[in-house]
Amino acid sequence: MDENEAFEYVKSTLKKEKITPYHSDELEIVKSIGACINCGLCINHCPVVASVGLDRFSGPRSIAVELSRSPPEFWATADKVYLCTGCGTCREVCPKNVNIPEIVNIVRANIFEHRPDLVPKGLMIVKEIIEEHNLAFEPWEDKEEKEESRDMRLERLGIPYIPDVVKENAEVLFYPGCQAEERAQEVREAAKAILDYFDVDYTLLDEFSCCSLPSHLMGDAKTARNLAHQLKGKVKKLGVKKVVTTCAGCTSNLADLSVRDEWGAPAYHLLEYLVEEIGFEKLADALKKVAKPNDVHVSVHDPCHLIRHTSRQVMEHALNILRLMPGVRVTESVEHDNCCGGGGMVSFHASEVANSVVQENMMALEKTGAERLVTPCPLCTAQIENNLFKSGSSIEVDDLTVFIAQRLPKKE
Amino acid sequence: MTDSKFDVVVIGGGSTGTAVARDCAMRGLRTLLLERDDIASATVGTCAGMISSGLKYRDEPDIMKMCSTEVVYWNHIARHIVMKNPILAPLLDLSDAASDSSYMESYSEHVEERDVPAMMFLTPDATLEIEPMLHPEIIASVYYEEYFIDPFRLCLLQALDARNHGAEIRTYCEVIDFEINDKQEIEGVIFYNRVFGTTERVTTKLVVNAAGPWAHKVAKSAKEELHIRLNKGAHVIFDRRIVNTGITVKAMDGRWVYLFPHENTTLLGTTALDTWEDPDTLVASFDEIEYLLQSMETVLPSIREARIIRTMTGVRPLVPDFKVPERNVTRGYRIVDHGENDGTKGLLSFLGGKLVTCRHMAEAVTDLVCEKLGKDIACTTHEKPLPGNEDDVDIIALSKEYDISLHALERMRARRGTEMLKVLEMTKEHPEWKTTICTCEPIIEAEIRLSIREEFPQTLNDLRRRLRLGTGPCQGTFCTYKAASILSEELGLAGDDFLVDILDFRAERWKGIRQSMRGEQLAQEELAQGMYACVGNLDQSDVDYDLKPWEEGH
Ligand SMILES: Cc1cc2nc3c(=O)[nH]c(=O)nc-3n(C[C@H](O)[C@H](O)[C@H](O)COP(=O)(O)OP(=O)(O)OC[C@H]3O[C@@H](n4cnc5c(N)ncnc54)[C@H](O)[C@@H]3O)c2cc1C
Ligand code: SF4
Ligand code: SF4
Repeated sequence: MDENEAFEYVKSTLKKEKITPYHSDELEIVKSIGACINCGLCINHCPVVASVGLDRFSGPRSIAVELSRSPPEFWATADKVYLCTGCGTCREVCPKNVNIPEIVNIVRANIFEHRPDLVPKGLMIVKEIIEEHNLAFEPWEDKEEKEESRDMRLERLGIPYIPDVVKENAEVLFYPGCQAEERAQEVREAAKAILDYFDVDYTLLDEFSCCSLPSHLMGDAKTARNLAHQLKGKVKKLGVKKVVTTCAGCTSNLADLSVRDEWGAPAYHLLEYLVEEIGFEKLADALKKVAKPNDVHVSVHDPCHLIRHTSRQVMEHALNILRLMPGVRVTESVEHDNCCGGGGMVSFHASEVANSVVQENMMALEKTGAERLVTPCPLCTAQIENNLFKSGSSIEVDDLTVFIAQRLPKKE
Repeated sequence: MTDSKFDVVVIGGGSTGTAVARDCAMRGLRTLLLERDDIASATVGTCAGMISSGLKYRDEPDIMKMCSTEVVYWNHIARHIVMKNPILAPLLDLSDAASDSSYMESYSEHVEERDVPAMMFLTPDATLEIEPMLHPEIIASVYYEEYFIDPFRLCLLQALDARNHGAEIRTYCEVIDFEINDKQEIEGVIFYNRVFGTTERVTTKLVVNAAGPWAHKVAKSAKEELHIRLNKGAHVIFDRRIVNTGITVKAMDGRWVYLFPHENTTLLGTTALDTWEDPDTLVASFDEIEYLLQSMETVLPSIREARIIRTMTGVRPLVPDFKVPERNVTRGYRIVDHGENDGTKGLLSFLGGKLVTCRHMAEAVTDLVCEKLGKDIACTTHEKPLPGNEDDVDIIALSKEYDISLHALERMRARRGTEMLKVLEMTKEHPEWKTTICTCEPIIEAEIRLSIREEFPQTLNDLRRRLRLGTGPCQGTFCTYKAASILSEELGLAGDDFLVDILDFRAERWKGIRQSMRGEQLAQEELAQGMYACVGNLDQSDVDYDLKPWEEGH
């Protein structure tokens, strides 16, 4: 056997033994799991354990000390690992910084490769959509209908329509993410309106493609790496200096990718960009210009991908921006930072689990007396909005980007 | 005791002794196995479980052939506790490669029957893709495959199978003397029952001394001199599978050392030091740990950053070839028939051997025993499966049927094969026994109860050997009390016995933890300390407990 045949042979044995070699950029994660001392602190903080119980989801500790120890047995964790929302709460409270959400993705990747039959069907449907469209959601069939829907939304929300721009060497790439690209179009448009208002030199992608997070989360490591590679190519080709997004998941994923794949262009959430690049002064000036805004009482939801996967500071920014808005009163909910249940692709295959997690948030929200909830993530918005609606609550939910765009004056 | 007359008495419940008892029982002999401690409590429990191709013994083609044949048998009779490890031997310079060619040839001689490929070379890129932790400057690697068996379960299954075939298995019974008549024939065996503190006697004309590194001491009880070469070997154990494949490398002294994924841990081993110390109290030395780490570091620079949970140390009972390095001592075995040389008639002692060849050793000695008894009965140990090996198990269906997690069932399957159904059956009447007791393995309560009822453990350490209780990253920080209360309930232990057993279990864990304690395991020990000293007040307990030699403190 020559060396190439030998390598093929070895790969076939590894496949038989259900071993996917850890990638060199995964070694840090694997090492972090080795630090678990089985203290159990994380269990009491896991929102999924809290809502469905340890029998259904054995929790972060079991992932660290039991489920992630032996790759040939990863397939046998399929009844558990898909229920983790990847919220990162365990990692935040863990005295040893054990990186549970990421080991979950490694375990899922192993199952995806070796036992695709055990991957929840709901995820396989998403996988097919991504494969076909490079998008996590089925795109609109009819472009005109899509535009009509967009215009209707903008009109209802009172947000101006700014035509798309695609150009090279802009300062900023605005990356809306799949949800805002296909579903919550108002978020995409609101962000454009904000960027336009502050005269940011930005561009959109010529052809939008998924950031790879959904593939990464479902364990489709190959597609994830392909999509990441594709996006890097687009970013490089456009020659932008920064990437700005309005989706919490995209923020953390793009930030990770930009470091891992050396994009040379850091990624920000729009909130970060507003505070760090535009500055409070300009923001305050703009927001004050709106004449006689209606008083509104809001509460805030912190997306996991911002506070735990990026930085808690992002939500500080959010609150500070809200404070600049005349007529806006904020009451914090005690569960402001509890996972909405929609993360980790859980809502795609076990919506009963996702919906049971969000109950905590909804109960706490009712207690605040707020009439509106704002959150800087279109996915959290959708998850909470759906559940509030189903429960007959009168509380409305807005993506924070939309909320901000609505409160900017007309551009002079 | 029901029957105190036996055709044969086997001394020692290691891999050798249990294999012998099984073979004797299967051939219809009235068989008694006496084990001083527990099944697999000594050497075999500290070994790597490699049922190797024997590639290190290329100067002994017969042994290599024997190993290969035995591997085939194990895969036939015990496949539920056998696993395969792909292995890389990374090369840092060309001289490594040259010295390896003879290994490659001899390894490759029997590959077909074992159903593995011949050894092959891999490029550096391919090697690093398979194991990115390896040194970036390796020039190539040699790839091969070996099989591994769970040594604890193997011994236990052999013992249980022997019992199924009518043998009597008695643990905690230490042979202290023999009755020998004027004609220098054995007439009886005298042993001390450590559970009841009584001395007992059985009648037999034949004794197989499979006492491993104590074989010479057992022989001495019959006033026989038996030369043996005792050789210490240590392993360092990591918390999980830290490598994608096994890694082997030449150590600083030219021996081979290895890093093998083993169940849900990784073993780094091993050392080889001639020893005259008491095998019971031996621990790994700082030098051994450094020798292993530094040798492995040459190809796997980050090995020291991985989490070491403990060490384990055993003593190889080698044949007495002296004046040669350990690695040149034959890995074959010898059966010493003391009666042949004007010594005690009826006493047969084992020297040497391996885990992989234990069945072969048993067959040979049982042939001899049968001959002495004037019986001609064929050996079937290589044909008839060990308990649990009968069929495949559909974990997914069972998980649905019994509402127990897939992974808990998969680990149970790795221990019990089809026999796991007995455990699951128990949860029908007692759904509360689905509770997880050991979180790292994991083990549910029903399996602990079944083991206590059917696998004759006396202590928590015995449960550990049967179930891997407390062998994970936390080293029993959380399962000890829970398991102890189940054991106490099942065996009717009194309060003091309960505490002493917990202390014994902790002491045994400490024996392995202490030597290598560093890094992340320090934090774990702090927590364990908090658990047992601060919460359990065990250090202040006034029960009658003697500190073990490796436990410091007053
Ligand atoms: C570090 C190390 C790694 C190894 N790795 C491998 C490997 O990968 N593959 C392999 O094939 N081999 C390996 N070996 C070798 C192998 O483990 C041993 O050769 C084999 O297991 C010895 O088994 P045994 O039953 O003869 O001895 P033991 O397991 O020591 O059993 C002897 C038993 O006799 C009992 N006993 C002693 N005195 C009395 C008495 N008076 N009355 C009653 N009972 C008594 C003891 O309690 C003990 O349980 C390794 C050995 C070591 C030390
Ligand atoms: S990431 Fe969130 S859902 Fe997943 S185990 Fe941790 S706390 Fe639980
Ligand atoms: S993951 Fe962290 S918090 Fe959870 S048991 Fe392990 S060490 Fe404790």
